[in-house]
Amino acid sequence: MSFLDADFWIGVGVTAGVYAIFALGLQLNVGFTGLINLGQAGFMAIGAYAMGMLVVDAGWPLLLALPAAILVAIVAGALVGLPTLRLRADYFGIVTIAFSEIVRYALQNAAFTGGNQGVLGFDGGWREFQAWASNELSPIGLGGTIQLPLLIAVWATLLICLAALTILQRSPWGRVLKAIREDEDAAAALGKNVFAFKLQSLGIAAALAAVAGFFLALNVTYLYPSEFDPSFTFFGYAALILGGFASYGGVVAGAIILCALTEGLRFLDLPLSSSQSGSLRFIIVGLVLIILAMFRPQGLLGSKAEMQLRS
Amino acid sequence: MERRFPFLTANARVAVRLTLVLILVAIVLAVARGPVAVGQTTLNGLVAAGYFSLGAVGLTLVFGSLRIINFAHGDLLTLGAYVTLGISAIGLPFWPAAALAIAATAGIALVLDRIVWEPMRRKRASTLQLFLVAIGLAMVIRYTIQFFAGSQPRSVGQDVLSAIVVGPFHLGALQGLALIVGVAAATLVGLGLAFTPFGKKIRALADDVALAEVSGVDTRRMIRLVWLVAGGLAALAGVLYAAAVGSVNPNFGFLILLSLFTAAVLGGIGNAYGALAGGLIVGLAQEWSTLFFNARWKPVVGFAILIVMLLVMPRGIFGSGRARS
Amino acid sequence: MKPKTTNASEPILALETVGKRFGGLRAVEGASFAVATGSITALIGPNGAGKTTVFDLISGYERPDTGAIRFEGRRIDGLASHSIAKGGVVRTFQLTRVFAAMSVRDNMLIGAQRQAGESLPRLVFGPKSVKRAEEAAQARADALMRAFALDRKADDYAGSLSGGQRKLLEFARALMTEPRLVLLDEPMAGVNRALGASLLDEVERLRREQGMTFLFIEHDIDIVMRRADYVIAMAEGAVIAEGPPALIRRDPRVIDAYLGRKGAVA
Repeated sequence: MSFLDADFWIGVGVTAGVYAIFALGLQLNVGFTGLINLGQAGFMAIGAYAMGMLVVDAGWPLLLALPAAILVAIVAGALVGLPTLRLRADYFGIVTIAFSEIVRYALQNAAFTGGNQGVLGFDGGWREFQAWASNELSPIGLGGTIQLPLLIAVWATLLICLAALTILQRSPWGRVLKAIREDEDAAAALGKNVFAFKLQSLGIAAALAAVAGFFLALNVTYLYPSEFDPSFTFFGYAALILGGFASYGGVVAGAIILCALTEGLRFLDLPLSSSQSGSLRFIIVGLVLIILAMFRPQGLLGSKAEMQLRS
Repeated sequence: MERRFPFLTANARVAVRLTLVLILVAIVLAVARGPVAVGQTTLNGLVAAGYFSLGAVGLTLVFGSLRIINFAHGDLLTLGAYVTLGISAIGLPFWPAAALAIAATAGIALVLDRIVWEPMRRKRASTLQLFLVAIGLAMVIRYTIQFFAGSQPRSVGQDVLSAIVVGPFHLGALQGLALIVGVAAATLVGLGLAFTPFGKKIRALADDVALAEVSGVDTRRMIRLVWLVAGGLAALAGVLYAAAVGSVNPNFGFLILLSLFTAAVLGGIGNAYGALAGGLIVGLAQEWSTLFFNARWKPVVGFAILIVMLLVMPRGIFGSGRARS
Repeated sequence: MKPKTTNASEPILALETVGKRFGGLRAVEGASFAVATGSITALIGPNGAGKTTVFDLISGYERPDTGAIRFEGRRIDGLASHSIAKGGVVRTFQLTRVFAAMSVRDNMLIGAQRQAGESLPRLVFGPKSVKRAEEAAQARADALMRAFALDRKADDYAGSLSGGQRKLLEFARALMTEPRLVLLDEPMAGVNRALGASLLDEVERLRREQGMTFLFIEHDIDIVMRRADYVIAMAEGAVIAEGPPALIRRDPRVIDAYLGRKGAVA
């Protein structure tokens, strides 16, 4: 496979876009609300499977299934948040991982979700669209690559989400969130309903996870539960720490760097089996997390001054 | 007695009540599902309790004395098991290999403290930073193991087919061994915590670091010992798991980490006795659940208990000593 | 000359045998007192008397074990702190709590109440009302920042302010909430005399012009004598005396509580 293989890099671009959307939700929780949400993969699974089952079992069109899946994920976010958001930060983290694992086990073992075999066949509508889009793109010479429409769809969605979140952050709502992250007791003493804001933050993050799950499903064309394990969430955190905890743009940059790093490994001609390359990728991500958390907690692109003020 | 063993008395009372509750539950289950089934699952539960308890003790001691939720702890179990297999593959019999692996893992835990955790303490790292470091460390350990040993499950290689049969109850030979070693180890740990000066100091440290320091405990030295104990017990737990289940894969430690948290929280985070009891509860609960649900749902039982405990009784059954901020 | 305490028929704040324990420690016990509307009332007592705990209980940060707390006649004990703050009671903290990584202006804007822009539905469906509310809040914030000489620092991080400026910011921010009762926890601590005096002048002006009530914890007896209309003295969790400053200073129970301090309350 050549370094210049467009199909490969488009695939990487799709993956990076999916991680970016996923991590935007994490950033809202971690960087802007102070919630250590370790269960984001669980919300993603719920969104992806809701979409898959609506399309395959209930015959819904793809474009209707997406908002429905988002809604299901938001409800899940609210259900998880209601009892758990009053816990202290580290216990909240553990509870969200437990939630994420319960979702995974449920998807693996419940009959209606196809178990370990996964869910197939929801991408019929998408493939039609892809074929149409490829046709449209041929005149300008881009019709050859299969994944290009998906890449465009993912990144268009990503940019819309990015814009929306940035506007939200600059609004009075975003300001309250910042205050809560700084000092929630002081925020409450000024009349802010901290719990309600945290719940909204978690709900929005769940929605973003569902959107990421939607595109992930279209990318891999079938859903299986082990895709949605905590490692996905941890990769999301790696994207977060690479881009810094202070901006949404940084998240996108972080996701790109992360994917370039992990996928780019293929081009180093290392005498490793494919399983070993896979392991190496995880080892590198782990090292990134350790080294940055220890020596540059504000992230590659974050500012040290703001980090110090935050703590 | 009250003054010389203040911890023991309070905990002992709860322990007695707990034992009675467990016996009661067992009786109710026996009526519902038959004594043989209950007996068999209880036996299986005790086997599991062995590695849950020992794994949870290390987790709870580290949290109690250092306030670190060590997400990498599960992977120390994996490390112990794999190093054992590695050493026994080059000729040493299983249990001596295990002993070496335990020592090695304890040492590695100590080294990790020196190069990772201690610098974080000095920098007064935030909760988020500690989480990220632990997660990163877990990944590095787990995938380094996978890098060298492959991701496929590996059989423990011992005689996994022979079974001990006593009446209507059966237990694999290796499982039986794991049960005996597990119970013995847990008992030794419990006694050691209760009666040795080292045990008392470690309990004091895990309960209240500031108070321990003021009482003249050399905290720096004790922290090093905490890591050695945590790492060693984790490795032993990993070996017991390998023996009980008959095979290992690089993910098993991380997968049972949440159950270890459950055990630690049940017992009251920071309470080492509590962790032992918590492991017993989790082991029994998971195995007893198979009387009603498919065995695939076993881990979910642990997760559910964890969530309920954190929401309803975060200080655990035994309580975590003094009120924490 | 101190203006007469406004003679409202009902006190703005009333504590009725309020009690609170933390584990084995009885922080507050059987505390009962009333704060007259429009008054500047001082809460005094030696360290550990339970004064900050009383503030925590009034503001909803802690929940009393026994007793009742009434604000403007309605019970507020047991309510969440944000509800109490929205209801007109705001507090400052002993150790100043400003939002260090936010600008001074943003700190101020957080204090604004009924902000349409803080509600997600209104942000999406009512951008005009959001804009109006935000502009109104900005105007008030600018005015308050000018009043406290913080306007030149408006865009700086609050964390970069000096200790005294932070105290002023915390106070100004509290005023943004348009409170009717302000609880000031040691407003003079760590503040130089001139700054402290101007802060108290502002307190008196607000009471005079807007009828705001102030309850403040203070250790400096001088200030209590000169600025407070009424004094409530606590010791060891209980209220031991209350009355106008001149009487309190001579009260033997108060002097007793301060035993060990030179010259007692004089």
